[in-house]
Amino acid sequence: MINWLSSLPNFTAYGTPVYFIYLLLALLPLGIGLFFGKRFQWYEALISFIFIFLMFDGASWQQLFSLIAYVIYQTFLVMYYHHYRKTNNSSGVFYLFSFLSLIPIIVVKLSPAMVGHNSLLGFLGISYLTFRAVGTIIETRDGMVKEITPWHFIRFMLFMPTITSGPIDRYRRFSKDYQKVPERSDYLKLVEKGVFYLFLGFLYKFVIAYFFGQRFYPHFEQAAMSDGFFSWNMLGVMYTYGFYLFFDFAGYSLFAVAISYFMGVKTPMNFKQPFKSKNIKEFWNRWHISLSFWFRDYIFMRFVFMATKKRWFKNRNALSATAYMLNMLTMGFWHGITWYYILYGFLHGLALVVNDWWLRYKRKHLKKMPHNKFTECVAIFVTFNFVMFTFLLFSGYLNTYFFG
Amino acid sequence: MTNRKRLWYIFGPVILAFVLILILFMLPLGGHYSAKTEQRAASSLSPVIFKNQKIKQQALSDKNTRYVPFFGSSELRRFDNFHPSIMAARYHNYTPFLLGQRGAQSLPQFFNITTMEGQLRDKKAVYIVSPQWFVKKGILPPAFKYYNGELADLTWLKKANPKSPYDRYVAKRLIQMIGNGGSVADDAAKIAQGKALSGWDKTVLNFRINLLQHEDALFSGFQLENNYDRFIKPQVNKLPAKYDEARLHQMAVNKAAKETDNNSFHVKNSFYTKKVKPHLKKLKGSQRNFDYNQSPEYGDLQVVLNQFKNNNTNVMFVIPPVNGRWEAYTGMDMQMYYRTVDKIKFQLRQQGFNNILDLSHDGNQPYFMEDTIHIGYAGWVKFDSATSKFIEQSQPQPHYQLSDEFLTQKWANLIPTQQNLNQFKEQELNK
Repeated sequence: MINWLSSLPNFTAYGTPVYFIYLLLALLPLGIGLFFGKRFQWYEALISFIFIFLMFDGASWQQLFSLIAYVIYQTFLVMYYHHYRKTNNSSGVFYLFSFLSLIPIIVVKLSPAMVGHNSLLGFLGISYLTFRAVGTIIETRDGMVKEITPWHFIRFMLFMPTITSGPIDRYRRFSKDYQKVPERSDYLKLVEKGVFYLFLGFLYKFVIAYFFGQRFYPHFEQAAMSDGFFSWNMLGVMYTYGFYLFFDFAGYSLFAVAISYFMGVKTPMNFKQPFKSKNIKEFWNRWHISLSFWFRDYIFMRFVFMATKKRWFKNRNALSATAYMLNMLTMGFWHGITWYYILYGFLHGLALVVNDWWLRYKRKHLKKMPHNKFTECVAIFVTFNFVMFTFLLFSGYLNTYFFG
Repeated sequence: MTNRKRLWYIFGPVILAFVLILILFMLPLGGHYSAKTEQRAASSLSPVIFKNQKIKQQALSDKNTRYVPFFGSSELRRFDNFHPSIMAARYHNYTPFLLGQRGAQSLPQFFNITTMEGQLRDKKAVYIVSPQWFVKKGILPPAFKYYNGELADLTWLKKANPKSPYDRYVAKRLIQMIGNGGSVADDAAKIAQGKALSGWDKTVLNFRINLLQHEDALFSGFQLENNYDRFIKPQVNKLPAKYDEARLHQMAVNKAAKETDNNSFHVKNSFYTKKVKPHLKKLKGSQRNFDYNQSPEYGDLQVVLNQFKNNNTNVMFVIPPVNGRWEAYTGMDMQMYYRTVDKIKFQLRQQGFNNILDLSHDGNQPYFMEDTIHIGYAGWVKFDSATSKFIEQSQPQPHYQLSDEFLTQKWANLIPTQQNLNQFKEQELNK
């Protein structure tokens, strides 16, 4: 069985242009069905299963078993909590279930730092599935998820287009789309947008990200190694990596959104021209949106509500500063337990605090400060370069540079 | 708008795009490069040449111009007046096809050779093997990836034999370099475990190789640096019409004396001002702990030797020197350096690679170097004299007998004292 599994071909999601030919051909009957007002649930399940299977077979076959075990575990937790929530609502039980739901990812994220190798529980996309599962538990607590069946939940978790890297959808929103069939003219609108996003994604990922990632970045990566820290080549590493990261990830997200649209599901967008942000707060409304909104709703806001209710802080600004730091540091830890991810989170938290302070200061003391195209450009320039610097940290290049 | 019309609006451009792509990849475009492009490619030193195959294959099988591959690394970029490409343009009946730049060590050369094995069969070549390559960690992944291309990887995978210790070694090294994940690493992992690729794997390989070859044929020609017009053409006529080694040597010494007069290391002025002077204090004694004796690079060299053997390529190996004045200042342990050279030569000689131009003891000759570790001026004159004789005169058939023991950890980590080398010979090679 395992021999057979490991000898099968493996296709990473959206890895090569050819992948799209297979995927779109497989989705064609589904699209025709939606066009004529039918959703072929079983066919869809079959196609999703095959393509997810192809992501996790071959050399990554161990991940397939981890994925199956993980989904069963989370389904069990969510269903049990939903059942409990119908009659009771204790905070303790809610925290217990949230924690139980987080256990796999905690183990997976801690393993490399604690035991030096990756945990067997891990699989590509576990972080994103965790967001969906925990999000569902939180929504259930808030009474926003009224009805849920194991089948619907599994379809939500294993929605093929977004399984490995998001965008992170919410159960309530997703199930609304997924239970119904869009009107024909709405569906055609989705398809039209989907085609555009798909081709924009090709441009982002297979052209622009290719040049940044495969041509320019390796050049600077190598050249900067033999230079001092403050060098032009290091600056080259910083910008080329930053652009590579954006175009690669935004391209991937466009693919995921486009394929979702073809399947009649309006998965939320992940990027909205992040590099023209005028401050860091705006940046997080434009960069990896589904992730930052998840953190905003389920960590930042919840912390602020709780702290306000329990009167932990006298000063409102101290409260928001603490919430920002907590929010971004958690995000840093979530990326991985290494000094550079944590520092990345820390700096973004700090930047949000400083940004808030600056806006308050400006309102109070600098009322006469002009606001025009030039100051906007300065703001964009500062934000952009700060972000690029943090991406240099994020890349892990400095780890290799300093510690070999 | 009717539904039908809308569907056309949505999908018409998509269908058109696919048709255009198909036409582009079906057309027999990029069939043949001009002699001019070949000439430019031979000195462009571009990584594109390394990763792809069409141009070098065509040049090396050219009937009109005789291109001879010169494998090396950063020294190939030292285009002073006595660079082998310029000397050959003036005096010899061949043109060096330069392959390598900074950071191109044996493992990238292996994949480079993979894409041109047919062109090396029964031919001659020059291989510059620098002791500086043999650092403890061997080649670093960023340097490797800079020269690594999918076409070369796939071409190798297609013919990799899971039973051969050489291919299993390459598979392991490739995974160390490019990391796990991705289909190349997955296929390499199978080879490393001694498992053959499945029929399906090979089908996918062939399909992708086919696409990449088209891409190579269509686009590689546009990405060449024009070193020919920049360095070679303007300098050819500065050399005297008639070849006279003693006179060339004197010219080189005179020229070097003028171009290296702002420092006591005999390092080219521009290099000294830019790279050395700002860090001069810090660099004193900086090479005291350099050690080239133990390195995975020895195994990497071995897989390249195996390719030369398989293709019956007659190769001259050149071991370049380091700048004696500079090494004295930076405190390099020269005994360690010479032991490294002994180890390399031992590995070559034991397996029948006897054409070795060992320049390692010439680092103190006046004006032999262009800068700290790169040969130039008088050094190039001597280099050219030896390599041109090797290439232009007929040579006896090489007889290579390879020993897999040179792939082992034991060899990579052997401290090459004379005693240890003898012992290795007794225990491992003669058993």
